[in-house]
Amino acid sequence: MRPISRGFQRRREPDADAGRLPPGQYLTRDFPVLTAGPTPHTPTEDWSLEVGGAVDAPRSWTWDEFSALPMETFTVDIHCVTKWTKLDTTWTGVSLDLLLDGIETSGEHVTAWSDGGYTTNVPLEDVSDGKAWVVHQFGGEPLEPEHGGPARLLVPHLYFWKSAKWVRGLTLTDDDEPGFWESVGYHNYGDPWREQRYWGD
Amino acid sequence: MSARPALRWRTATVRGVTAESARTRTLMLDVPDWHGHRAGQHVDIRLTAEGGYQAQRSYSIASAPEHDALELTVELVDDGEVSPYLVDELRSGDQFELRGPIGGHFSWSVEDRGPLLLLAGGSGIVPLMSMLRHRAARAADVPARVLVSVRGPEERIYGAELDALEPRAGLRVEWTYTRSTPPGWGGWARRVDAEMLAQLGPGPDANPLAFVCGPTSFVEHVANLLVDGGHDPEAIHAERFGPTGG
Amino acid sequence: MEDLHTDGNHVAGMLGEFLAADATTTRRRCQSCGAEHPLAAHRAYRGAGVVLRCPGCGDVAIRIAECGDELVLEWRGAYRTRRV
Repeated sequence: MRPISRGFQRRREPDADAGRLPPGQYLTRDFPVLTAGPTPHTPTEDWSLEVGGAVDAPRSWTWDEFSALPMETFTVDIHCVTKWTKLDTTWTGVSLDLLLDGIETSGEHVTAWSDGGYTTNVPLEDVSDGKAWVVHQFGGEPLEPEHGGPARLLVPHLYFWKSAKWVRGLTLTDDDEPGFWESVGYHNYGDPWREQRYWGD
Repeated sequence: MSARPALRWRTATVRGVTAESARTRTLMLDVPDWHGHRAGQHVDIRLTAEGGYQAQRSYSIASAPEHDALELTVELVDDGEVSPYLVDELRSGDQFELRGPIGGHFSWSVEDRGPLLLLAGGSGIVPLMSMLRHRAARAADVPARVLVSVRGPEERIYGAELDALEPRAGLRVEWTYTRSTPPGWGGWARRVDAEMLAQLGPGPDANPLAFVCGPTSFVEHVANLLVDGGHDPEAIHAERFGPTGG
Repeated sequence: MEDLHTDGNHVAGMLGEFLAADATTTRRRCQSCGAEHPLAAHRAYRGAGVVLRCPGCGDVAIRIAECGDELVLEWRGAYRTRRV
């Protein structure tokens, strides 16, 4: 029988619309920094974004080319598997619909890969139809390195480990390839509303 | 090293709480079947709230192995979840789960000899204090140089005890303040640097055992200074507490 | 800039749920750079789960996922510990 620590309670949460919190999440006003490794510091002159893999014609953008693409500014809630949720986060970036527009592919899966070696996998349909972006600004300011700058993937309808920091490429694949966290215990899909945190959930 | 019992969670009961400073408390604990520890080791603690919510943290053991009660010293972290409970709420009779002792790498016993070079940032002094208390309990004269870096006088803990220990053969304790100094202070008032370490000693020729503990940025900075100063990297034992509380 | 990592001391309790040996003094030979370091000296990062990396080359040594009541662990490299 686990002893109860008298008087201990979870950190106080600000009031929130209960409907906006997925099951098991608590609200934070911070922006916690979580990482699988040291923060890369890629200068924009060395940066590129690539789309490749099971595609007829790979494509890529330099930083200048990426910066010239049509940008959207939008506000979403984000949910981390470590149980914090941050409401009303504002980002600026390029929709994946634009980056993948017209691409000829047999692949139904996407592996996002990043500086530092991180990977994560998402079904192609989950980064289509306005569900995903490559963002370079948070709150109107350039994305800080510790939060994924120069640019990160943003897939807010899934747990935030899918929103790969320091993204450098998207590889379309025929077979689903579990990424860094998916291959060591975290759920392959990661829907916060069905609380899909771990294998077997 | 003798055979280790397996690490398992036990129930610790608070025997008492004393204030080391405005923001720091020492918890004196009774832990059934406690097998003892080596100076420098830490414990994991786990708190369970009514309703089942759990939080887990690690704290260094402050007491010497020779002491009869297990003592942890906890510093309040702003916006923390566990430290405000331990510092402001906890009282005698309260209980939480505890696992340990953990960590033979960051530990020292008089049999390991020296000389010792102990470098602490803020609350990193806690495991080093266990080493100094052990050294005193064994009346050992292993030479020890200690440097503690704190932001201001309000962060200074164990001051009276260190002052009382210092005249004992072979121990020298220095403080440096990085933001505000005590009134009339004529000592160091800056971040640890190579000149400070050279003045403190011992140098690499003495082959000291170095223990560096505190926030990660402090440990990385000081460990790099030691290596740059010619100290053997294998003789530098580091324990990183993570980012500062701010 | 703050370094966000800790080290193997910090996760030794969790590793102790798998090992009878002292996790901190257990030495790992990195299969990338060939250097050997105690786990206590490995850099620990916290993402969704925990990652321990070789202090020499940064290669991933151990990945840990805390999945509710279960721990999942992946080890890379060669580990050496003293029998007691």
